[in-house]
Amino acid sequence: MAVFELPEWTALAPALILVATALLLFVFDSINPRTSNRSLLAGTSAIGSLTALGVAVWFMLAGVGTPSVDGGRGVVELFGGQFIVDQMALFFMVVVAVVTALVAVASYDYMEDHAYQAEYYSLVMLAATGMATMAAANSLVTIFIALELASLPSYALVSILKNNRGSVEAGLKYFLIGALSSAIFVYGVSLVYGATGHLQLDAIAENLEGAGEYGGLLGLGILMMIGGFAFKTASVPFHFWAPEAYEGAPAPISAFLSSASKAAGFVIAFRVFTTAFPIEATTAVIGIDWSLAFVILAIVTMTLGNFAAATQDNVKRMLAYSSIGHAGYALIGLAGLSADGGQLVMGAAMMHLLVYGFMNTGAFLFVALAEYWGVGRTFEDYNGLATQAPVACFALGIFMFSLAGIPPLGGFFSKYFLFVGAIEAGMLVVAAALVVNSALSLYYYARLVKAVWIEDPVADRGTLSQPTGLYAAIVFAAVLTVVALPVFGPIADAALDAAAVVIG
Amino acid sequence: MEGLFDYAPAIALFPLAAFVIALAFGNYLPKKGAIPGIVATGGSLALSLAMLAAVAGGEEGYYHDTLYTWAAGDAASEVGPEGIEFTFGILIDPLAALMLVIVSLISFLVHVFSLGYMNDEGETGLPRYYAGLGLFTFSMLAFVYADNLLMAFMFFELVGLCSFLLIGFWFRTRSAPSAAKKAFLVTRFGDYFFLIGVIAIAATFGTLQFAGNDSFIAAAEAAIDGNEQLFGFGAETWVTITALLVLGGVVGKSAQFPLHTWLPDAMEGPTTVSALIHAATMVAAGVYLVARMFGYYALSPTALAIVAFVGGFTALFAATMGCVKDDVKQVLAYSTISQYGYMMLGLGVGGYVAGVFHLMNHAFFKALLFLGAGAVIILMHHEQNMWKMGGLKDKAPVTYWTFVAGALALAGIIPFSGFWSKDEILYDALIVGLEEPLILAAYAMGLVAVFFTGFYTFRMVFLTFHGKPRSEAAEDPHGVGWSIKLPLLTLGVLAVVAGIANLAPVYKLTGIELTFLESWLEGGLEGTTYVAYTELLGDVYDTGFIGTESTTVLIAAGLSLALAFSGAGVAWKLYNVPEPVRHTEKLGGAYDVLRSNYYQDEYQVWLAEGLTLPLARAADRFDQTVIDGTVDGVSTASLFGSDRVKRIQTGIVTNYAALLVTGFIVLLIVLGILGGWFV
Repeated sequence: MAVFELPEWTALAPALILVATALLLFVFDSINPRTSNRSLLAGTSAIGSLTALGVAVWFMLAGVGTPSVDGGRGVVELFGGQFIVDQMALFFMVVVAVVTALVAVASYDYMEDHAYQAEYYSLVMLAATGMATMAAANSLVTIFIALELASLPSYALVSILKNNRGSVEAGLKYFLIGALSSAIFVYGVSLVYGATGHLQLDAIAENLEGAGEYGGLLGLGILMMIGGFAFKTASVPFHFWAPEAYEGAPAPISAFLSSASKAAGFVIAFRVFTTAFPIEATTAVIGIDWSLAFVILAIVTMTLGNFAAATQDNVKRMLAYSSIGHAGYALIGLAGLSADGGQLVMGAAMMHLLVYGFMNTGAFLFVALAEYWGVGRTFEDYNGLATQAPVACFALGIFMFSLAGIPPLGGFFSKYFLFVGAIEAGMLVVAAALVVNSALSLYYYARLVKAVWIEDPVADRGTLSQPTGLYAAIVFAAVLTVVALPVFGPIADAALDAAAVVIG
Repeated sequence: MEGLFDYAPAIALFPLAAFVIALAFGNYLPKKGAIPGIVATGGSLALSLAMLAAVAGGEEGYYHDTLYTWAAGDAASEVGPEGIEFTFGILIDPLAALMLVIVSLISFLVHVFSLGYMNDEGETGLPRYYAGLGLFTFSMLAFVYADNLLMAFMFFELVGLCSFLLIGFWFRTRSAPSAAKKAFLVTRFGDYFFLIGVIAIAATFGTLQFAGNDSFIAAAEAAIDGNEQLFGFGAETWVTITALLVLGGVVGKSAQFPLHTWLPDAMEGPTTVSALIHAATMVAAGVYLVARMFGYYALSPTALAIVAFVGGFTALFAATMGCVKDDVKQVLAYSTISQYGYMMLGLGVGGYVAGVFHLMNHAFFKALLFLGAGAVIILMHHEQNMWKMGGLKDKAPVTYWTFVAGALALAGIIPFSGFWSKDEILYDALIVGLEEPLILAAYAMGLVAVFFTGFYTFRMVFLTFHGKPRSEAAEDPHGVGWSIKLPLLTLGVLAVVAGIANLAPVYKLTGIELTFLESWLEGGLEGTTYVAYTELLGDVYDTGFIGTESTTVLIAAGLSLALAFSGAGVAWKLYNVPEPVRHTEKLGGAYDVLRSNYYQDEYQVWLAEGLTLPLARAADRFDQTVIDGTVDGVSTASLFGSDRVKRIQTGIVTNYAALLVTGFIVLLIVLGILGGWFV
């Protein structure tokens, strides 16, 4: 298709563009650490992430990562299989880049009074780089490094409001739980290495039989790695950091962590479990089908997330728990994998993560807007906002109903595919849990819509300004959530193709 | 010829346009919408006649085209094609062409008659009336040329809706809205089964086409030949079940026992509407549907026998009730039920030609009688009680003579049209009945009903027109204009001569080919022709003769004629006197039963109030307490659970680490035990 052939390493271009943007921001920072030229910094970040997005989309359309059999340019393996660029990698790079762009634009207003602008944006870009790298990592080593590259800036970002006690405390808790989880994850990696003698994912799969007598050890290793992924995706029981971190962090960072970071956590989970531990071969060695672990995690996670969200008074905390609930939905993608396929359900999970990237980011950005206005944190404080800010509140309605899975919004379709996929995979219990939890979730999502649209304001709050960046990001996220409907066909195809390739 | 069929949709669309015009502009038009209606139905009539000619002259002898596919999908059909399509299409074969002509003719005449009956009598709400007539005609015409069962069902329902609107035309009275509601609800009850039947047929065969190679009839035949199992039943049993479900709609619309109760009440509508409903649209729709998918019924001897038996029973049952009515329209109402019973009997015994023949003849003479009754009602200044009439014979000769022509046809007196078709039905029933005792019983009931038909028909004629005037109105009748006389004369002629269409007895006795209708119905699409049906029926029914064919014909005709004459004679004896009196006391207890219509309404009301209502109340109570209670309970439990779950998050990071590790270990233990890692 293209007139010229790019060298192979350029397949990682989206991640490279993100890291280049981060370095450029460092340059700004070192020249003038106290710069308050927000337009330049936020603009650079936004342009950088949009460029990465554009390149990733271009690659997808040009057929990079599509197997040659399907008329593409073939999956690109780099550095001896340490990295892989296939459709799934590109798909998740798109998710990460979109969310990063939204967060950068929204931060323009939100971080208005912050002292160290450049470090904030460079940390965001570095974390985004880590997440994009996670999408392409194909060896336990690169996975771990990418994971830490995403995590360490995140800890700093959560506690970046240095004068805010909640922010600092949340950052510390996040860091401690993160350290514990990383330890468990690395231990798991070492056990897997011990059992199979390899770190590269394909090599692990090839040497599973050799693990023979160490079946239990390998199983323990796999379980510990699941722990690492559960931490990154905020799944039970590794979710404890999430409510506190999301609540304490600046709202755009909450959006970033709950959407992009979660998606990145899922992509490595998808890749590790489809590439390194094919079900049949693994079951033969460890004596149990690992998808059972995900069935349990999915049900527990979605139930706990939604139940805890139901009676929250604090909007941000409600969204934090709802984010845990959605992690449970996405886990169905792994729970539904079975020896004879499961690409529908995994494709559905990828779709859900994409749509979730829009609607959840949008919801957190609305909270950012409310914090920017200083209206307060509880549902009651939000009462009657619609009379003063109808556009933003309309967008909020879209996010809430889409999160709840009401047709014809994007969230309905991805959830519907998950439901169908779960039924086709024969997981009736999981499908039932999905339905029950979705019904429950409508309760608390609708509560927020009711508060802003129907209730009367408790106190007079004066006029509310209209910050351009936040509004633009919110409206854009809302449009994407709605537009996801007409373009759902291509999205679904892309996700299903990507799932088909990794499952092979 | 090909080009002409492209205009087929216009047959139904003309009246639809009239409906729109009458509704939108009726108040500003000179005759309040009558003119567009007359023009539209006239246009439909002309086009239908052209179609008739085209079908007769064309090489293929039919027209079948799918116009629009509005839904398509994968069907989980038991047999038949993979995908199912829901379409609108047109099928004009000899049967449909004939029916199109009948419907548009009757509708045209009813429109003309309405000028005298509605406009000249100064009725209000005329645009609504003409809009209703237009929509009614449109629905019926579209139903007639529907090429698939689902489209037929849709227009069948629309026909029901229109009858509701028109029966309740005088919605300010107490009785008309109630009658309209009753007609709607009772037919809806039957249509419920029809709908299930449509779904069952679609699910079974993956197609709803009436004709052609991919019709459900062909698929059903193949399934029966292949001894397939459908939904756990043998193919033939399943075909019987679905055919009977569809029959539910037929029984409701064609007012067959036990769903006939709506029809007498429907007399609350304008008499013109009654003429349209009884002769050509609503009631005819049911029987026409059986004729349309006759191939399907012919596959199931059980379904056929039930059709025949229901028909025979209804014919007798309704005829007895007609004998004691005082209202001229009520007598006609029961005669309609009875006559459609004959048609069902005819179709049920395999007399496809006879049934269709009677449908046609009945359309003419029943429209004639209703319009005649309408004329009488005008003459009598809106009095409908026959005991207050009398002596109209000399004052309204046109009405009288045409009415008598219709009455002779209804009573089945040779050589009027009704005789030929009714005789053919009874003959067909007899020859089958000689081999099948159940059919013989149906035949016997049909035969006895001939006597009652002759009696109530001439009782009506004598009470209305003969004797001395028994009220002031009867002494000084209101005049009628050309718009009333013209339709009466047209239909009067048809009632006399329509029988020529199929003089089957003449053919059987002398061998002279006078069976035009039979040869007409032999044409058409393969599988829906009379020839194909005859072949199918060969497997279903054996036929026998008394002596030879000729003697059987003579015996059957003689018997029914004798009974018709004796019925008419009794009426003549009792009522053709200057001062007729009621003879009902002589019936004793039977009179009360007849007068109360065998308590059919009472038991149906009891079913609704004594059975359905308590059930509905119980369901409501169940919903209010158990269902709502469960829902409320779930939400209370959820919120309570939420409150507890929230507390896991203590805010102390060491607790989190402990819980995290505990959770992990629990998971490890579960998986480890299942996976046997600790052994």
